[in-house]
Amino acid sequence: MKKMIKPLFSIIMVFVLMAFQNGDVLCNAKELKEKASNALDPYKYDSAELTRILYKNKETVKEVEVPLFIGEKYRIVFELEALPKQVEVQIYNKNKDSKNRKLLFSSKDIGADKKEFQFEISKARQVYVDYIVPPSEEGSYSGCAVFMVGYK
Amino acid sequence: MTLKLLTLPCLALMMLLVSCNGNSEEQKNHESLEEGDSMTVVTDSASSVTEDNDVTYNLPSALQIAYVFKKSGAGFVPSLLNNKSNASKYNTGNYKRATNFGIYSADLAYCLFNKKYQESKEYLKACKDIGSYLGLNQAFESDNMAQRFDKNIANEDSVVKIVSNVQLKTDVMFEQNKQKHITVVAFAGAWTESIYIAIEIYNKDKNKKVLASLLEQLLLSETIIKALKSHKNAEPEIPALIASIEKINAEFTSIASVKLAMEKDEEMDFNAMSVADSELTAITESVKALRAGMIN
Repeated sequence: MKKMIKPLFSIIMVFVLMAFQNGDVLCNAKELKEKASNALDPYKYDSAELTRILYKNKETVKEVEVPLFIGEKYRIVFELEALPKQVEVQIYNKNKDSKNRKLLFSSKDIGADKKEFQFEISKARQVYVDYIVPPSEEGSYSGCAVFMVGYK
Repeated sequence: MTLKLLTLPCLALMMLLVSCNGNSEEQKNHESLEEGDSMTVVTDSASSVTEDNDVTYNLPSALQIAYVFKKSGAGFVPSLLNNKSNASKYNTGNYKRATNFGIYSADLAYCLFNKKYQESKEYLKACKDIGSYLGLNQAFESDNMAQRFDKNIANEDSVVKIVSNVQLKTDVMFEQNKQKHITVVAFAGAWTESIYIAIEIYNKDKNKKVLASLLEQLLLSETIIKALKSHKNAEPEIPALIASIEKINAEFTSIASVKLAMEKDEEMDFNAMSVADSELTAITESVKALRAGMIN
């Protein structure tokens, strides 16, 4: 019986490792969104986006298109505490394929290691939230980023 | 030998478990519904429905659309709303449930910002009924929502906050239940209803501000199409829905003033744009047909 424990344990470990290799991650959507919603007041909740970030061996960009109504005032709250390694958040007026897009916000400007921050905007029809994911030197792993949009 | 005999079935069993976990969306949803409060933490891995795309889309809420539309001065026309007693007939499949959940959400929001609180309560009940078919019971039953709604029924800020909070909870539950595609389909339903209301009110009153708000809503069609395309295999009805919205988008972008602004790559000022009634005829018919397909 004792002889069986070691091989069985090895097999279980292989499957656990395989699961994480596929990019599985525990993301508590409820907790992350509740935290973000606390920073939204006095803006009313509009929508929220949870983005799965997969760290690879090279820098990658994950983009979220956010349509807005022109003339309305918005607050976008970011919650990055479920990321194992900090990403840079950039907000643009056009998508990443556009040549002449304008950078409206960079998380680098408010302190690169901040886990929660916000951005306010009006007079825009859409913004593009880019997560600049740094390369991973220790194999592939993942995390979650959340932002929440409020209006008033 | 004994070890080998035991290891192989164990290996097979584990492979079976891994395989089941990755592929059965229906099973996951069913499990989530049964888990109740214990489902607050889920393994939020890349689902079989949402692909790991580099670009994703965050769609606005039906509440915000109605809030912006109300500012145009549009009146309240109750005959435009979908009959709330239809809710039970939409429990035929996820697509029907989701589109009509969106339609009732838009009706609820329209009532709410027109201070029709009794109607709002009834549409909230319709949303709750369809929501229960989509596994959203908790979102509507937590925090004594119904009682708080009744208690604050004459206070717009409070009831809007209560409904916004329900919406946040439904968004979280869709995420947890791996039903991200349902939120996109539901939004397509809400958008269709909002456009239908706006276009009917404009055709009746010819209010320029209502027209500007309608065009602003039509501008969302492109993002909805892209969002639906990223989930095109999630439900069998999604490709036809994409085709219908693409048709509306093509009719919208062929409006002369819209087309000109797009060609010049200018920011569109819908308040200054003139649109001939004939340019709205095709859109009106397409929107009516899309809505009729959803609610019937």
